[in-house]
Amino acid sequence: MDIIQHVPIIMIALPVFFAAFTILFRSKSGLQKALNVGVFALLFILSLRLLFYVWDNGILVYEVGEWGKYGILLVADLLGAGMVVLSSLISLMAMIYATDYMDRKALDATFFPLFNLMAAGLNGIFLTGDIFNMFVFFEILVLSSCGLIVLTGRGDHTKMADKLEAIFKYLILNIVSITLMLVAIASLYATVGTLNMADIAVKVAYLAEAGTLPWHFHVIAMTLIVVFGYKAAMFPLHFWLADVHPSAPAPIHAMLSGMVIKVGVYGILRVHYLIFNETMFMLQPILILLSLITIAVGATSAIGQYDLKRMLAYSSVSQIGYVLLGVGMGTAYALTAAIVYLVNHAVAKSMLFLATGETLYHAGTKDIRKMGGFAKSSPFLGSIFLIGAMSIAGLPPTGGFFSKLVLFDAGLSSEYYVPVAIALIFAIFTLFYLFRTWLAIFWGEIKDTDKADAYAGRNPTVAIKVALAFLACVVIYMGVYPEHLLSLSGTIAEQLLDPQPYITAVLERSVR
Amino acid sequence: MNDTLLSVSIALVFGIATFMILRRDLIRVAIGVTLLSHATNMLIVSTGAFLGDRAPIITGEEAVSTGGIFIDDLAAGILAPVIPEGTEMAYVDPLVQALTLTAIVISLATTAFLLILCYRLYQEQGTTDVSEIRRLKG
Repeated sequence: MDIIQHVPIIMIALPVFFAAFTILFRSKSGLQKALNVGVFALLFILSLRLLFYVWDNGILVYEVGEWGKYGILLVADLLGAGMVVLSSLISLMAMIYATDYMDRKALDATFFPLFNLMAAGLNGIFLTGDIFNMFVFFEILVLSSCGLIVLTGRGDHTKMADKLEAIFKYLILNIVSITLMLVAIASLYATVGTLNMADIAVKVAYLAEAGTLPWHFHVIAMTLIVVFGYKAAMFPLHFWLADVHPSAPAPIHAMLSGMVIKVGVYGILRVHYLIFNETMFMLQPILILLSLITIAVGATSAIGQYDLKRMLAYSSVSQIGYVLLGVGMGTAYALTAAIVYLVNHAVAKSMLFLATGETLYHAGTKDIRKMGGFAKSSPFLGSIFLIGAMSIAGLPPTGGFFSKLVLFDAGLSSEYYVPVAIALIFAIFTLFYLFRTWLAIFWGEIKDTDKADAYAGRNPTVAIKVALAFLACVVIYMGVYPEHLLSLSGTIAEQLLDPQPYITAVLERSVR
Repeated sequence: MNDTLLSVSIALVFGIATFMILRRDLIRVAIGVTLLSHATNMLIVSTGAFLGDRAPIITGEEAVSTGGIFIDDLAAGILAPVIPEGTEMAYVDPLVQALTLTAIVISLATTAFLLILCYRLYQEQGTTDVSEIRRLKG
């Protein structure tokens, strides 16, 4: 058997193994950094190979333990493999960045094991074909990210007491939401008697055809919307994000805002479009309404912020609203737009957060009002920040322009005029708050003249520059050549709306 | 009768857990979270066939007489893989018990983490009152 067949399990097992193995090297800092960057580079290459394999040969199913559909299956379809590529890219860049950014003490002892576990949790969520297994990976992700938020980096001006408070909020809310997910899974199991998502889809279709779909099935669908909406920071459940994400050090902030909130969107795309097709007519208007409120609340809250990280965290809330708007419209074109938006936002936002961490280190404060004139002392950070801001605001030639263009086009072609109008108004808000911030930080006079002498000594190191420049290249590439991402997303959207190939690929396994 | 009692007690534990999570003391919140996971575990076990006098052990003889342990035939209207509806079985669904074990282990980890976190919060902020821990605002 070819090695490519085993890539789905390697993507999960290798980081889990390394989480334990890397502790052995805690006294050899240089070796530990090199090993971990090497492992994440390997994971990125493997995930790219997996995506190309799935693109050429169709869905790849890996049986863990050879129990067929009754055991745990890892399913790499285009959506799952694509998300794995995205998370591997961002975690590789965050890892390279973190080797110079994090404090020595935090880096040696806890950062690498927990970061490996976080990567394993993300890959597991994207690759699993079993809904209970998804719950387990959610827990791995939550606990490892809680541990990572406590760590400190050099541009991190948050006090330990504030970090602990943020984690307490994050943990309690996550436990409640995950318990809710477990209740939903238990009810689903009691209804259809299986945990394999493809198998559930077949049985639900059978029940719906016979007209015996129980009413509590709709309740399960809504409960899961609440769980995934919480993960994605959808409107009534968005309040925790602005406290939790800015408390994290920059590489973890980039991972949380870049990938971890996308897990909620992935959950809705995977679980609801596969299993709860019958209830989507009811859920789609709710999703559109809530996503519009999310856009509005996020954008208006961001305008009033003077704390740079907090402003960008509210911006994440607003942007995730655009992704959910595409998911809520539910046509093939709208889903394409949602996936394009998701990818562009993940790359651009994580780049912006990495640049922000370094800007805060450069400034020595997190208050925008005390920054100014950094274009002279650090032109590199200024240009990176500008590219990120342009992509989030949706200006060409960055990827963000195409994501907004496709999303609004999809909305107009399915005649959602009012939602598109509201989304457009708040896109202008996005432009305003991002460029006001950029102007305040990088142009004008140096505001804090007492500290101005220290600026020259606090510039990004080579590793940080490499990570930022690579992500900037990806952002520009996706703006100049959007057709690759568009055709991939289009195929993913078609597969989401017609899950029959996924179901066939999973269920043709026989029990040995 | 048995099932009704079980459902009522699960609902009661859920209620108590929610009440405790809404308290102002950190430790009470932690206890509430623990109770919540217990209630969920009971719910998962109750989704398997609950008769009280059967074990989740499939012996060879039964597996043969029912044609293997994996029976889910859509054409015959049988959905569950292990316990077909309307079929008399000498065992209960073992899968839900495995799920509960996983859930218990996970809740052990989260509870341990949560208690340490409560202690560190008390050390840093000098209070266990949730309404006084509110530095992050805006």
